[in-house]
Amino acid sequence: MSNDIIDGILEAIRLLFTFDRELWGIIEVSFRVSLTSTFLAALVALPIGSFIGLREFRGKKTLSNLINTFMGFPPVVMGLIIYLLLSRSGPIGSLGLLYSTSAMIVAQFFLAVPIITGTAKAAIESVDPTLKETILSLGANERQLWWELIKDSKKSIIAGFLVAFGQAISEVGAVMIVGGNIRWETRTFTTSIVLNTRMGEFGMAIALGVLLISIAFIVNYGLTRLQARGG
Amino acid sequence: MSSKKPFKEVLREHKTAVILALIIIAGGSVGTYFVIDILNAQNPKRITLATTTSTYDSGLLDYLLPKFTEQTGIKIRVLSVGTGQAIAYGQSGDADVILVHSRSREDAFVNDSGGQIPYGIHRACVMYNDFLIVGHSSNPANLQLGDNITTVMSKLKLGMTEGHNTTFYSRGDNSGTHSKELILWSQITWDPTTAGTNYYKDVGAGMGDTLLITYNDANNRGYTLVDRGTWLTFNDTYTTLNILAKSVDGENMLLNPYGVIPVNPVLHPHVKFVSACRFVGFITSPYGQALIDAYRKNNAVLFHACFGTCNETHDCSTTDDEIVIWTPYQSEFAGLSV
Repeated sequence: MSNDIIDGILEAIRLLFTFDRELWGIIEVSFRVSLTSTFLAALVALPIGSFIGLREFRGKKTLSNLINTFMGFPPVVMGLIIYLLLSRSGPIGSLGLLYSTSAMIVAQFFLAVPIITGTAKAAIESVDPTLKETILSLGANERQLWWELIKDSKKSIIAGFLVAFGQAISEVGAVMIVGGNIRWETRTFTTSIVLNTRMGEFGMAIALGVLLISIAFIVNYGLTRLQARGG
Repeated sequence: MSSKKPFKEVLREHKTAVILALIIIAGGSVGTYFVIDILNAQNPKRITLATTTSTYDSGLLDYLLPKFTEQTGIKIRVLSVGTGQAIAYGQSGDADVILVHSRSREDAFVNDSGGQIPYGIHRACVMYNDFLIVGHSSNPANLQLGDNITTVMSKLKLGMTEGHNTTFYSRGDNSGTHSKELILWSQITWDPTTAGTNYYKDVGAGMGDTLLITYNDANNRGYTLVDRGTWLTFNDTYTTLNILAKSVDGENMLLNPYGVIPVNPVLHPHVKFVSACRFVGFITSPYGQALIDAYRKNNAVLFHACFGTCNETHDCSTTDDEIVIWTPYQSEFAGLSV
């Protein structure tokens, strides 16, 4: 069995450099879905998260608790909910979106929004209060204050984005249910690993795992560098 | 010229414009995905087949389906799940056609008694293979290859309830194999799920995982029921497991027939019924049947074609109706050979 790991690594290298069409399709689907959903989630979650972090209002505590709970929302339950909505027998089934990358993007979007909202809120709240006062005393309006605080907590916000992306690309339950793991269409790294394990192709499963980890490392490394430069 | 402003500065000056542009690009590209996916869903030459892991994971469909697409231009999207889930996808209209192995539930799927609208129509037998009982070579329950199925099940029951030296691992996932297992226990009028034995383990997993769990049984005394296709995939890996019981002559309890059923367009008007029927015509045609018989994995035969002969192979009662209904659809594939 330990040979499977070494074989897997060699197989990963071979597949990558022979430009195996199926493998590159899987890479493409995984990234398209994870990046799009995380990016969209950031567009929605950053304004909401920073707003909650910046303002004081009634029910803020309850809202914060709610967000924290949803940060750990079980992906497979999210998959099931989106499945029931998009199923032909569900309320918006007539669109026929089930088992498509769109359905996967929707599921991962809703998983990523609480994560990015929560980290953005925490980041804004953790800014030194004296900085806030200084900015206001310099005559900044609220919009300018908001922008300055976001700039100041950029690192934490990027970290939140990374966490959300990491969760999206390594998630398997939701994309399996709403994507269906259809060859050439909705097969991702993780669903492909499940399939290959089930088929007894342990070498191939390990190969995909090695690639997934390597690519995640490269993405994280790149973004961390960006983070360092920005700071 | 001083127009060589640093890029960063330009961004800063037009912050709102940059943010707006990002939102438009993101919205536009996502909108495009959605539109493409919605249009694709309407394409009549693109159908969804919900099937069991045993047909897909064995490689049979990856071998068979491109030949169908070549003839008809119809693309088939395969959902490889358990029989219970595949039938649920057919019932909800999320699949156009299903290929499963649980006769009682297939009959319920096409049941139109009492004027109810059936979920599927015109079930056809496609092929069969057989179930095996595998276990560790120490074989504490002392199964013999010549034992008939009631003897086998009684020995396993005794091993669990009295010998305390036998552990049976059940799929427990509503799959075709799981329902077959429950039928086998009912042959000796015993229900392990309510018998209160600790030696009957419901693992709630797929076939490959259940085999792995059986293989890893701490005391080398695990048994499980497995379809031959999955067994042939793993028998080289799980070397301590052996076939300890199989079908004996004159008995068809362990046979595992697969049926194909198009989803009823009366119930779900969106299903691509015509394309689904062309697929059934293909898989039941002499060409499709010959392809199934010719398929090998590790030099072993996995499935035996049986359309039109299922009354002989496993006493199927609907053979003649199936022939009448599907013969016209098979003519499209006449004259093709493997």
